[in-house]
Amino acid sequence: MQLADRGAVSRFGTPLVVAVVAVLVGIGLTVGLNGYFAYLGVSVVVAAIALLGLGVVTGSAGMISLCQLTFGAIGAWVVSALNVANAPGGFLFWLLLGGLAAGVVGVLIGLPALRLRGINLAVVTLGLAAAADVTLVEIQFPGTTDGVSVDRPSLVADDNAYFLLCVIVLIICALVVHFLRRGPRGSSWAAVAFSERGTAAAGASVRTAKLSAFAVSATLGGISGGLLTAQVGFAFPTSFAPLQSLALYVLAIMSGAHLIDMAVFGAVLWVAVPELLKRWGVPQDWGYVIFGLLGIQALAGRGNLGTAIRELWRRRSRASAGVQITALDEDPPRLPPGEPVLVVRGLSVTFGQVKALSGVDLAVPKGGVLGVIGPNGAGKSTLVDAISGFLPQAQGTVELADRPLTGNPTQRARSGLRRTFQQDRVPSGLTIEAYVRFVARRRPPADEVAAALEFFGCPPAATPLDRVDVGARRLVEVVGHLMAKPQVLLLDEPAAGLPHEEHVAFGERLRQVPARFGVSVLIIEHDLDLVRSVCDTLTVLDFGEVLASGPQAEVLADPAVLKAYLGETEML
Amino acid sequence: MVQGALAGLAAGGLYAVLAVCLTLMSRLVRVVNFAQAATGMFGSYVGVALSVHGGLPEWLAVVLGVLLGGLLSVLIGWVVSTWLAEAGTGTRSAVTVAVLLLLISLSFILFGNKPQPFQALLAGPAFTVGGVVISQVTVVTVALAVVIAFAARLILTKTPVGISLRALSERPTTAELLGIPAKRLSAAVWGATGLISTVIIVIVAPSQSNDATSLAMLVVPAAAAALLGGFRRLDLAVVGGLVLGMLQGALAQVDQLSVVRNFVPFLAIVGLLVWSQRKEVWDAAR
Repeated sequence: MQLADRGAVSRFGTPLVVAVVAVLVGIGLTVGLNGYFAYLGVSVVVAAIALLGLGVVTGSAGMISLCQLTFGAIGAWVVSALNVANAPGGFLFWLLLGGLAAGVVGVLIGLPALRLRGINLAVVTLGLAAAADVTLVEIQFPGTTDGVSVDRPSLVADDNAYFLLCVIVLIICALVVHFLRRGPRGSSWAAVAFSERGTAAAGASVRTAKLSAFAVSATLGGISGGLLTAQVGFAFPTSFAPLQSLALYVLAIMSGAHLIDMAVFGAVLWVAVPELLKRWGVPQDWGYVIFGLLGIQALAGRGNLGTAIRELWRRRSRASAGVQITALDEDPPRLPPGEPVLVVRGLSVTFGQVKALSGVDLAVPKGGVLGVIGPNGAGKSTLVDAISGFLPQAQGTVELADRPLTGNPTQRARSGLRRTFQQDRVPSGLTIEAYVRFVARRRPPADEVAAALEFFGCPPAATPLDRVDVGARRLVEVVGHLMAKPQVLLLDEPAAGLPHEEHVAFGERLRQVPARFGVSVLIIEHDLDLVRSVCDTLTVLDFGEVLASGPQAEVLADPAVLKAYLGETEML
Repeated sequence: MVQGALAGLAAGGLYAVLAVCLTLMSRLVRVVNFAQAATGMFGSYVGVALSVHGGLPEWLAVVLGVLLGGLLSVLIGWVVSTWLAEAGTGTRSAVTVAVLLLLISLSFILFGNKPQPFQALLAGPAFTVGGVVISQVTVVTVALAVVIAFAARLILTKTPVGISLRALSERPTTAELLGIPAKRLSAAVWGATGLISTVIIVIVAPSQSNDATSLAMLVVPAAAAALLGGFRRLDLAVVGGLVLGMLQGALAQVDQLSVVRNFVPFLAIVGLLVWSQRKEVWDAAR
């Protein structure tokens, strides 16, 4: 199921086949295991579901969550309370409600944590874990003090049958996580883990991406807590102590729980290590010491157990893929530039005392390519940031197709203005295809994507992005945004990272973008050869002000431009 | 209520000292150290063990315990700054989560999971204000918090070492190229905060619930306090710690509010974050 996408059959077929095989293995184990091992097996499944959740929030979305078992406690609480109240629906329904309740709490906790980078979320979640622990010890779970136990459904009353039920729940959870991760939701998790700016520029909401990862993770935590309750019959605060949540987090890191099979493997370790230590007469706390040391090693980038095992399993080629782009023979078709589609008036940005931009006017013609040039520090990248909504303090107006363009970067991207970044903002956890789909916010036909990738000399769609070199990644970013069919695409030095001889070839492709993709372009570029071959019109910035603006030849011949920016005429 | 608040001042001083350590670490070595309190816990436990089981004189055992706390912190710092020199604050801090787990588990193995027989270094009242007794522990913790915050501020703004440290935290690679001994300086920061944390926990532990987990989890209220200063301002970290301790003390007077009291640090964290993050900020510079 981790293989590259090979059409609809493998997309849906392979995971389902794996699921069926897993059910069969579960049935086999049910027959083969004696009672005690079935009981341990339930513990493995319970831990696997919790780890699966951590895999989503920490593995995919890159946030540190230290209260996974507090969500488990919420699930356990709901199941216990419904059991005491003798609520209708039965155990499985309660289990689901427990998961949902934990998910809701997850969202509530996540809301204030939204603006937060990883570390603040870690502080919040550890705070919740500590507070919940003290409180649970004080008030206990419903039914524990009165001896009202949560009974398993009669059909799965013995350990072996209950184990099979747990396996089925785990498989359902794993399938849900798998399909979420393969879809746009999962791409947004990977994107937000790598760069919030990149996520917003792709028209995806950073808020939704973070919250949904947190909610899914909490829901899985809640379900695992509910299953644990019926395994033991009672929920006890000790099962959900902060120390265990910490250990589970470290285990998720060291086992690489963002991979489903590794979450299960981590869960096996979770149960097997203390069990073996017990048999050998070693204090079980050594288990956490081992997890802690391996966790430190994994966090320090020395590789985690999960990837190490996978590398052993199948040796993948690690050769990196790059750009293959050659000059065109024929002169590319051009559209006659039309009316302005993106109009910027009086744009000003100040950082403290520094005026980065003051009163900048410019217009991108429909079907044309506008170049923005200027020396370092002229405010070019600030301009792109302000237009695309990353600088809410910017003054002035931006109009896209005669409508004012306002709001945050996500909203602006959705209204048809896209941008790329100077630095690499392409998340490495995806394939080119998944990334392009994510950025395009649609599922463009495979041949359309393949043609666009080939046009820009990018590696094939199935290539994982972690094997693509920086220059090619930046072109993949361009292709993704073109597939979104925006009205205007802002390119911030797209050719940086390409070898110089490929700049011109890239420029020829870029020249065709309006005619081929129906997208008008604003490009910031240092390479004057590229600028000259691509841009109809130019705007020159100097110290945050427009120095000259107009048709390319006129602007480049302007003595003021020569003096202020170019300095030496021989560059022309 | 006032009585409770003043009684909570001892805990407040403890939170404030730990919050100052967290703030210094965050500013100077780009780490939110989740193992801050755990390091102190471990050092002080070793001190107790040396005195109770090792038969060392108490003062010597305490000194050795404190030194060990500092040393342990240096060791963690060495791992972080060697293996994760270029990593972001998030990853560097995540390592300390693993260290927190490690230290709690190790203390269970070495000392069992029962609270330790701490000998009170300071006992008895210092003075009374309006009928409320202020203990010596309160006076010392609050004074320590203020003194350490002041001293740290003076060192950072007025001494060459402080200026190097600030350069180091703002631009680590550039600072190193300028010939600032990055490794030694960050080891010094780790060591100093480790020593301070251990000292404060040795002083306060006899009057606290002092099992390993409770002591290690002191990092939560300390983080809440440090958040008031945004992990950057030392004075606000001290204020945050004192206020939090007094608030908890005041709430402890009302039995019905005991559950609320448990959640005070958490609610403070959430509240402060919502307030301080109300302005939209993006993750990377550009």
